[in-house]
Amino acid sequence: MSVEQVVHVPSGHEPARRLREALTLLFANKLASIGALLAAAFVVVGVAGSVIVLVPGLDHLYTDQNLRAALLPPLAPDHVLGTDHLGRDLAWRVVTGSGISLMFGVAVTAISMAIGMVVGSIAGYYGGIADRLLSGAIDFTWGFPVILLAVVLGGMLSPGLLVVGIAVASVTWAGFARMIRAEAISLHEKEFVEAARALGVSGPRIIVRHLLPNMLGSTLVLGTYYVAAAIIVEASLSFIGLGAQPPMPSLGQLIATGRNFLSVDPWVAVVPGTAMALIVLGLNTFGDGLRDVFDPRLRRW
Amino acid sequence: MIRFVLSRGIRAALIFVVASVAVCYGLRVAPGSLADIVTNPLNRAFAVKDLEERLGLDEPVIVQYFVFVRNIMGGDFGVSFISNRSVTEIIATGGLNTLKLGGAAAILTYFISVPLGIMAAARRNSVIDQGSMLIAVLGMAIPNFFLAILLVRLFAVELRWLPAAGQGGIKHLILPAVVLAAEAIAINLRLVRASVLEQLSRDYIRTLRAKGASERRVVWIHAFRNALPPVITFGGVMLRTLLGYTLVVEVIFRYPGLGFELVDSVLKRDYAVAQALALVFIAGVVLFNFLADLGHHLAEPRIRERGAAG
Repeated sequence: MSVEQVVHVPSGHEPARRLREALTLLFANKLASIGALLAAAFVVVGVAGSVIVLVPGLDHLYTDQNLRAALLPPLAPDHVLGTDHLGRDLAWRVVTGSGISLMFGVAVTAISMAIGMVVGSIAGYYGGIADRLLSGAIDFTWGFPVILLAVVLGGMLSPGLLVVGIAVASVTWAGFARMIRAEAISLHEKEFVEAARALGVSGPRIIVRHLLPNMLGSTLVLGTYYVAAAIIVEASLSFIGLGAQPPMPSLGQLIATGRNFLSVDPWVAVVPGTAMALIVLGLNTFGDGLRDVFDPRLRRW
Repeated sequence: MIRFVLSRGIRAALIFVVASVAVCYGLRVAPGSLADIVTNPLNRAFAVKDLEERLGLDEPVIVQYFVFVRNIMGGDFGVSFISNRSVTEIIATGGLNTLKLGGAAAILTYFISVPLGIMAAARRNSVIDQGSMLIAVLGMAIPNFFLAILLVRLFAVELRWLPAAGQGGIKHLILPAVVLAAEAIAINLRLVRASVLEQLSRDYIRTLRAKGASERRVVWIHAFRNALPPVITFGGVMLRTLLGYTLVVEVIFRYPGLGFELVDSVLKRDYAVAQALALVFIAGVVLFNFLADLGHHLAEPRIRERGAAG
């Protein structure tokens, strides 16, 4: 019995049909399918990791030490991915780190997406002086080195995940705003928007009801890239000591710890590093696939 | 043209002034966090008092800002609280090192990604194309600090061909420059390939081929010339990103450039150094912005002012 018969999808149902078409397109692309699988795996592992971080009493999974079983290679008994220099289980530490990365990436991207949507749609829809001012802000912010901002902010406030999050969000909103502004300008001229205007629908309502739903696809595509970028920035800063602070096993922290044992046992760095690379690879190729599905013309820069 | 340079120049200067106010203000209103973070309690009273004396924290912030600007104009960036080195000297030596590293990375980026991208586009789906796309995918997926670890393990620990860290001759430059350039190579490779491919599907290319221009000439001269604007525009973004990554890469390789000094001063709460170096970096960002606008303007004269943002 096919899936359609079980779920009973009505043939005239637009969104369901479009979603199915989109998924068919996505999975027709081999690289994108791998990306989708990796991204899905990351979400599953990340949710498990988030639970470990958020629910009290589970931290023994990644903090329990056993010096008799230190620096075990992967596939050791009881420790699938081996252990670090204190005999802590690397698999659990990587799961926890993925949780921190997932929560961080999604939260920061959601915030900058919201800001970018408001700024971009106002600039693109209303034009005029509002557009000139907002575009100036967008042009300057877009492409500002996030790491530099995070380091300087770290100097003003105390270093930690929050500061990194603020730094990432205060740059990436401009990426969303830039793309949404361009789309709002082109949608502004479309018949259905003119029709809404002619009927006397207010500007904010047109933006929310008519413009934003039409930009959802490309915004989500950009979102997957920015989640990956946020995760890399967080890990880079944790690696140099300005991100997540020591007891918190973020992936950057784990790789930084492993670096100290590079000549003795490279696995301590290679295991979390590979996890990190797979996460970013998955999100980027999944984003590429989504981009081709939603809008073949959309570029990622 | 002159009008364009002037208006963008004024905008760049304004942005720099605003940013410098923000940096100075931000670092000055945060002395409380200095006291919180200076870990040694014996040192705390001293550090705060020292900071107040040196920065004149009892003055209003605006006065402090102008004092700071006046000192900079006179070439006086202050003195490090911790090492007592003059900040001007740190900027001079660190700046030279960072320029070397950044220059090496930029050269590496363009000398690899541009020819490879054009070849990949000219022979779509060939081994070269697939190989370069593999480089692009890996270059974007492997975070540069992890790449650094892998390369150090391979070339410094196993093969002992290159030093793992520090500063010296060209050997010390190779690993940091490769790590710094890796992501830029990947992104630029994709961009060049996509841009050249787009040009190759245009009508004028068909006309050129029809009139008998050699394929090499069509690809390397005509298509490439017209594929340049997005590459140049992106160059500005890329240089700014490289600038940001020097902070991480220099710390990893303990390479004594501006990025290493900035992170070090922030971690040690050495505000006189942190403030001056942050301004140097922001000046770099503003300058690259300006150069990117200019390059874009020169490469595509049809695009004026507004067109660029859309």
